Amino acid sequence: MTTEPSQSVRRVAAIEIGTTSLRMAIAEGTPDGTIRPLEKLVKSVAIGEDTYSIGRISRETIELCVKVLRTYQEKLREYRLDDPHNVRVVATSAVREAENTLAFVDRIYIATGWEVEVLDVAELHRVIYQGVQTWRELIPGLAHDRWVIAEVGGGNTEFLLMEHGEILSSHAVRLGSLRLRSLLTIYNAPESRWPELLHSHARRALSENRLAQERGQPVKLLALGGEMRFLAEKLRDDDPHTAVRIEFDQLRQFTDRVLGMNVDELVREFHIPLPDAEMMGPALVANLELAKALNADSVHVLPATLRDGLLRELIDQDVWSDELVSQIIRSAIDVGRKFQFDEAHATHVARLAKILFNQLDSFHGLDRRYELLLVLAALLHEIGLFIGTSSYHKHSMYLISNSDLFGLSRRQLMLIASVARYHRRTSPKPTHTGFSNLARDDRVAVIKMAAILRVALALDGSRNQRIHEVECKIDKQQLVITVPDHSDLSMEQLAMRQIGGLFEETFGLPILLRGKRRDSLRR
Amino acid sequence: MSNTQSSMKPSSEQYFNRELSWLEFNQRVLDVALDESQPLLERLKFLAIAASNLDEFFMVRVGGLQLMSRRDIQRPDPAGMSPHEQLEAIRARVRQMLSDQYECFNKHLEPALREAGIRRAAGAELNENQHRIIFERFEDEFFSVLSPIAVYPGDPVPMLPEPHICLCVRLRSDQAETPYRYCLIPLGTRLPRLLTIPSDSGYEYMLLEDVVARFVERFFPDEQVVETIPFRVTRNADLTVSDEIPADFLAEMEHVLQARKESHCVRLELDSQATATLQGFLADAYEISPADVYPLHGPLDLSELMPIAGIKGFDALTDEPWDSLNSAEVDPSQTLFDQLAQKDILLVHPYESFDPVVRLIEEAAQDPDVLSIKQTLYRTSSSSPIVAALMRAATSGKYVTVIVELKARFDEARNIEWAKQLEREGVNVIYGVRGLKTHAKCCVIVRQESQGIRRYVHFGTGNYNERTARLYSDVSYMTSDLDLGADAVMFFNAITGHSQPQPYHRIESAPLGLKSRLLEMIDVEIDQASRGENAFINGKVNSLVDPEVIDALYRASQAGVKVRLNIRGICCLRPGVEGLSENIEVTSIIDRYLEHARIVHFHHGGDDRVFISSADWMPRNLDRRIELLVPVDHEPCKSRLIQVLETYFRDTAKAKRLMPDGSYQSLDTGGESFRSQEFFYQDVKARTKDQQKQQMSVFQPLKSPV
Repeated sequence: MTTEPSQSVRRVAAIEIGTTSLRMAIAEGTPDGTIRPLEKLVKSVAIGEDTYSIGRISRETIELCVKVLRTYQEKLREYRLDDPHNVRVVATSAVREAENTLAFVDRIYIATGWEVEVLDVAELHRVIYQGVQTWRELIPGLAHDRWVIAEVGGGNTEFLLMEHGEILSSHAVRLGSLRLRSLLTIYNAPESRWPELLHSHARRALSENRLAQERGQPVKLLALGGEMRFLAEKLRDDDPHTAVRIEFDQLRQFTDRVLGMNVDELVREFHIPLPDAEMMGPALVANLELAKALNADSVHVLPATLRDGLLRELIDQDVWSDELVSQIIRSAIDVGRKFQFDEAHATHVARLAKILFNQLDSFHGLDRRYELLLVLAALLHEIGLFIGTSSYHKHSMYLISNSDLFGLSRRQLMLIASVARYHRRTSPKPTHTGFSNLARDDRVAVIKMAAILRVALALDGSRNQRIHEVECKIDKQQLVITVPDHSDLSMEQLAMRQIGGLFEETFGLPILLRGKRRDSLRR
Repeated sequence: MSNTQSSMKPSSEQYFNRELSWLEFNQRVLDVALDESQPLLERLKFLAIAASNLDEFFMVRVGGLQLMSRRDIQRPDPAGMSPHEQLEAIRARVRQMLSDQYECFNKHLEPALREAGIRRAAGAELNENQHRIIFERFEDEFFSVLSPIAVYPGDPVPMLPEPHICLCVRLRSDQAETPYRYCLIPLGTRLPRLLTIPSDSGYEYMLLEDVVARFVERFFPDEQVVETIPFRVTRNADLTVSDEIPADFLAEMEHVLQARKESHCVRLELDSQATATLQGFLADAYEISPADVYPLHGPLDLSELMPIAGIKGFDALTDEPWDSLNSAEVDPSQTLFDQLAQKDILLVHPYESFDPVVRLIEEAAQDPDVLSIKQTLYRTSSSSPIVAALMRAATSGKYVTVIVELKARFDEARNIEWAKQLEREGVNVIYGVRGLKTHAKCCVIVRQESQGIRRYVHFGTGNYNERTARLYSDVSYMTSDLDLGADAVMFFNAITGHSQPQPYHRIESAPLGLKSRLLEMIDVEIDQASRGENAFINGKVNSLVDPEVIDALYRASQAGVKVRLNIRGICCLRPGVEGLSENIEVTSIIDRYLEHARIVHFHHGGDDRVFISSADWMPRNLDRRIELLVPVDHEPCKSRLIQVLETYFRDTAKAKRLMPDGSYQSLDTGGESFRSQEFFYQDVKARTKDQQKQQMSVFQPLKSPV
């Protein structure tokens, strides 16, 4: 008699192990894209206080996290949310920058069975972007003007520079409320000097940033983060689902007011927990200095949080939206241009690789997420030529693995770099360190993608982008690739022989490339 | 937003003293007993209630003042009175009240009761048969149970657990230097106070102390009894649970129960026939100052006469019964989930039955789609169907969380028992929040439906107690509103410690945002009035003590906001004073049902903001308790609430107006009077009838119940 939640409704939970607190959001989502929040929980745990003072997370703090996560687990059982596919636990800078990240992650795994994903900076930017996307209709201008999206966190401030809805670049700056706060303790400065110290430090941190280059260009500022949401909450009318525009003067006045109060007064006045009260002043200063640095006369605030982005990805089951995919591809092209790649060739090979990937999907068995990795590898496989022609595939590898492609994790970046590394010359060998460090599933994926990339390269062996269509078919123990509208494929056939045996080694099939004349001519 | 602290100095010009205001409330209860238009047994009932109230007052309020006075703490209350001054005023007022009370009992009620056939026998007038029967009862039952305790001057006296009656017997001694010796006979809690004796007609009874006194020589066969006097000692109960981290909260509470027996004595009551010698002996023994000794001209502890008000066979002497009716808003043939998915339901108790609330929880316990139930329980009993339903839900695998408030005054022992029972059945029992009493009344049911999760919430102004729900006027609000559901869940996450408190969408809770929300709402009216717009506040609470709220209301009055308050009990606000509060009007209703609902209505520029709440406007509720303020925005529930409030302000029969001098004046002008409680009863009856008529005009096919 129980009504199982219909196929279309999925309950998911995202847990964020942040710098000052552990937050959980439970939501349900439908494939049409709507996410309905069910519960939001927050418990203060000052992980960042450990990381930014002693460099590691203390045992007591780890156990505190375990305790909180166990109560969250209990809450999830209430919702019958026990499938790990529906729960995502991520950690941000305080865990990432601690010396004992692994010990932390392992302890959580032992205590709860949850694998904590420690988000890389680029992934964090992707999740922030996804979170903002959830609320984008609240600020129509987001799709047009030039924007800086900034989130002042406990440890770092993350920036996305966006124009016409496209991410131009993303960075992280070591400016965070907790870092600022611990600075005050380190300097042991008298309280009267705190505001001045906070301001000057925030200014310094920002000036070292590439974002300073944005100065002068008219840019709008979208601020994320709890403190700005809190201020927006105080300023807007009843409807919680709106964007709020805070004038620079309002922000300055509020910041001054908060800096003029001690922590106890903040708790009493605003009914906020003590740890939040401690972060409030420094976070506001960071935001204010940011607005000043960008010459922004106002700050826009959305209700978006990191959890929104995480929930979005959970609901989409990690199938990224076309929009996000094109953001990432755009950032790869930017990287390619930086290294003066042959853009026409690279994008064409990427297109062919994508066609091959899709036509061979039952054959290679890789899911959709790998398509993007293959495309990115195809785009960037030759950037090593910028360094030198000899062994340029190896140059490509380290350039890619050290690039800041938008939204990708370290692991994904390594996969792309490896695929590029094996687009020519030898097949992967256990002696190749980068390769042998990969997990087995990843090694297999790299080999498969590299094999497909090599076929795509052969298909543009002429480098004049003349082949646009192919048809793949497995026939009599060989892969027959038919190219319509072309009868002379000798150059491509030669290239196909030069790519070596990687494809056959991997898939166990030789390739036959066959031209096909246009039907109309056959008459 | 205004953050002005109370700028006014403590003064009796501005505020009434809360203890004296409370005593005036109790006087209004006593006035019902004095009202000759009331049926006799109802008068007796109100006499008993006033007596019981007064006991609680001494236990809870007076003890603290005595301690402060003894330590010579001068801190004045908002009305400018020192603890000592307050005690003086209380004593004088209480003596007057006791004199009224006993005059009422001796001169009016008892003769009338006798006339009606309900007779109390003192002993002397018993016939032979009656005498034989009570003697046998004394010999068989009491003699072996009761044990006299000899007390010598200077020795510690036995600590008697509760304010129970005790006999003090003075015996002649043969020693020269001490001519008398004293024995105490505690009558305990196990023997009935009222003993029925055989009677030819009507009902005849004797009080236990009179029976024991009559045969008291049996305890002292060889001695001479000089006098036997019933007395009663009241102890201070105002013990707050210590804020030390308790290893086990339960153990802590059991410890408090123990400690209550050992706290100091605040009052000695004894029969006025006691000699000065005996009175002096008792006062010394219990360390009670003469000012706190109350000789009474009649039976002690009149609250124990309550059972007489309920004896069968004297219907003519009681009110005609008003049954709780099923609300016309609730369709008995449909599940409450289905109904709440369509509309919100507002119930006005006790005119409308509390059953739908119980039914909602029972349905939730049985419903396979319900994932979890969370609820607060303050005063309830283990026999409660709600508790039974929660246990059933837990055993059938649902997540059931119950916040049990152990600090419910005097109910601790009962609470601990059923809380342990709930735990055994798998309910997750949370024993309140450290340092704060959980007084909010809220239940949320999380249900998995085809469209996703849906929450069903009940907010109330009264406890989840079916018994009091028949006697208290309260409001229940049931809804599946998304924001209110999310708020209710956040509320529970906060008090169960799953999460830190986060801002709510619509509700507010004490001790965090409730008071500021109230003050903000008052400020909006002030703002409106200052701009010449229409502005008013209509409120109904049980007590108004909080100086910040009072000051805000004074400011409102001065700005021209019309403030009408219906306050059953304490009101420290002084209404109707030119330049201070001329726009404030306060009335109080004491009638058949205990007025208990908290409702407030702000004009808010014409869009009417209406709230229900668990909180009285007292510092203890607003600052030291967990309470809720819930907006009711959905029509027609909102209009109904407004209408309910307006009905209270129309009352002229039972309402009394608080005058600037602190007295209460009847509004009954002798002409046609309006009685709000009766109106509610008739109104609900009419609604139910209409509903039945409508149902009669449509044939309803019966569906298979499975």
